Amino acid sequence: MIYVIYVLIGLSVFFALAGVVGMLRMPDAFCRMQSSTNIATFGVLGVIIGGILYSAIYLQNGGMAVKLAVMGAFYIVTNPIASHAIAKGAYRHGVKPCDKTVCDKYGEDME
Amino acid sequence: MNNSPLLFFAVCFLFLALTLIIRLAKGPSAADRAVAADSIDILGDMALILFALYSGRGVYLDIALVTAVLGFIGTTLIAKYLEGRL
Repeated sequence: MIYVIYVLIGLSVFFALAGVVGMLRMPDAFCRMQSSTNIATFGVLGVIIGGILYSAIYLQNGGMAVKLAVMGAFYIVTNPIASHAIAKGAYRHGVKPCDKTVCDKYGEDME
Repeated sequence: MNNSPLLFFAVCFLFLALTLIIRLAKGPSAADRAVAADSIDILGDMALILFALYSGRGVYLDIALVTAVLGFIGTTLIAKYLEGRL
């Protein structure tokens, strides 16, 4: 069972690594926001599920498991809100997509 | 029981968070810096959770929860400020 927990946390580290590499190498701000949401969903969920299993089975501590579940629900609810808000705010602030963008429906709607 | 892989994964998360400081330093716009700061916050939270599991103390989970709430509030506030409605 401990190896299942380690594999979950290792997958989470892998997705966080992919998100960090994307944030360092993507061409414009909106692509970087997409990589940041990769960190905030899959990078979090593996640690949360593995932590719930570990604290419930090996530490015998129900309070930590409940706290971790609350944290996971909070992350799942709030990360799309924050990402959506900051993408809209960046577009209104004047950040332009890169030259390879082929479709910009939000900019057409604003005019 | 030997649970030092948890500490190893926590150090991995901290290393990733330190790597994101590059984007925080040279991001061209303010939105890049805000997104990078939010991601650093989340990765630090993951390191705190793993250290709480390693040491078996629940206090670090409280700190991680408070940091997550403050990071969300800060990111949303910066988004509203960039949009021009604050």
